[in-house]
Amino acid sequence: MSAIELNNVTKSFGHVHAVADVSAVALPGQVTALVEPNGAGKTTTLRMLLGLVAPDSGTATFGGRRYDELTDPFRQVGAVLEASGYHPGRTALDHLRVLTTMANLPQDAPGRVLAETGLAADARRRVGQFSLGMRQRLGLAAAMLGDPAVLVLDEPTNGLDPPGVRWLRGYVRRLADEGRTVLLSSHDLSEVELTADHVLVLAHGRLLRSSTLAELRAEAGVGSRVRTPQLDRLCSLADAAGHTYRRSDEGLVVDATPEQVGELAAQHGVVLHGLAGTADLEQAFFRLIQESNPAERLASAEGAPS
Amino acid sequence: MKALLHAELLKLRTTRTTAGLLLATLALVALTVAVNVPAGRDENAPLSLDDPGLQADAVGVSFGVPLVLVVLFGTLAFTQEFRYGTVTSTYLGEPRRKRVLVAKWISLALASVVITTATLALSVALAIALIRLRDGDITLTGHFWGVVASAFVVMAAYGLIGVAIGALVRNQIAAVVGVLVWMLAVEQIVIPAFPAVGRWMPGGATNALFQLGPAISLDGKLLPPSVGGLVLVGYTAAAVLLALVVTPRRDVL
Repeated sequence: MSAIELNNVTKSFGHVHAVADVSAVALPGQVTALVEPNGAGKTTTLRMLLGLVAPDSGTATFGGRRYDELTDPFRQVGAVLEASGYHPGRTALDHLRVLTTMANLPQDAPGRVLAETGLAADARRRVGQFSLGMRQRLGLAAAMLGDPAVLVLDEPTNGLDPPGVRWLRGYVRRLADEGRTVLLSSHDLSEVELTADHVLVLAHGRLLRSSTLAELRAEAGVGSRVRTPQLDRLCSLADAAGHTYRRSDEGLVVDATPEQVGELAAQHGVVLHGLAGTADLEQAFFRLIQESNPAERLASAEGAPS
Repeated sequence: MKALLHAELLKLRTTRTTAGLLLATLALVALTVAVNVPAGRDENAPLSLDDPGLQADAVGVSFGVPLVLVVLFGTLAFTQEFRYGTVTSTYLGEPRRKRVLVAKWISLALASVVITTATLALSVALAIALIRLRDGDITLTGHFWGVVASAFVVMAAYGLIGVAIGALVRNQIAAVVGVLVWMLAVEQIVIPAFPAVGRWMPGGATNALFQLGPAISLDGKLLPPSVGGLVLVGYTAAAVLLALVVTPRRDVL
């Protein structure tokens, strides 16, 4: 199984530095998420990896080879880049047949991937009649035609309805558990939290952090969300214990671990109806981005959650 | 390359655009022959396929619309990929883009053979039927076969140029409008009005190859057929080379 490697990859469009000196690795058996709150860096990075955009400098490789050096690329790398890559007048089956023919894949591959992605019943419908979510599934079906060991997905949850997002999450997880390398991009931090093992944080085209989700979560600081009928009593106990807190619609958010809050409540006989840990990854991301670019502090402080 | 070519032919076959445009074109070919062959000829004189003027009307002029069609097919082969974003999966399947270009060129050359054969079959059959109605002569001369051979060459060349235009321009509306304005307006105005310039245009060279001089009142003002052929080959080679140089360097965003 092959790893994805980015070595000092840089790309500018005119005066815009889309990707600046990014080096990172995505390993087999893991879901690696390329996260960027906004900007064109993540898509440009994936397109450079796939040989669609030429880097100004640096290399992007699969197991040490550039995409255009791969033999039978569809059998090694599957990619979903946009939900619009279809001729609307072609049926889903014909779309996949064109790709199968081009890549010399077995003729039964379209049937297999259509079944895997839940599109078997729609095989003979024209893609123009598909919803955005169905087109995302068809994109994944196309990526899986060659049963590749590496998957590259650009914003795969875009346009999916909630059941579709849940299905995708499970599908991607299963692919990684099978030992495949999965690199996906996302601007949706909460989705990344549920899907990824490893996170690459990008802002203004620069790689700010490459770490496991667990590390990032630890750095973010852990809090607890508490539901209790004795809100005021718990607040005063938290005050006494030196924990800060804030009230929310659902109860209380305390800046302490669930263990600390649970023990505190038990010691003083406070009834709890709910206790859950929270790791405010969003805050951690914002902090990373602000630290990288002090000039943005003011702008993002205005938009940051209070 | 064989797999790529099969995929390109499958792309042509799996949308309704191809069949729709082809049927519309053949209808216009029939109309052109039906109107042009009897027009301007003595009603009582027997028609003869031996007559170069009639041949021009029956075969050469009837290629007016198919020529536009084959350029458009070539252009759409690329612009549709850019318009619908399928170019991404095409280049993912074959990252060596020159091979994609070559596959499209071969597929268009093959398509041009089909369109040319269909056009010739229809236009000649219709012309023969019209001649028979007047008890005319349907001897096929060397001149006739020369025009038929030219038709295959010109149609293939236009298909290749179309693919190159699509690869270079990429924007479907700009490419299609540009092709239509050039072929249906610019050349139609410049060639008769300024034959000294117009005969060097692709359309002028095509008229020379089809030996249309007498039929379009430009007798003696067009290039000799062989020179016309060379000019057309030159345009085709230039378009092909430009596409081969530019296409691999462009970013696909």
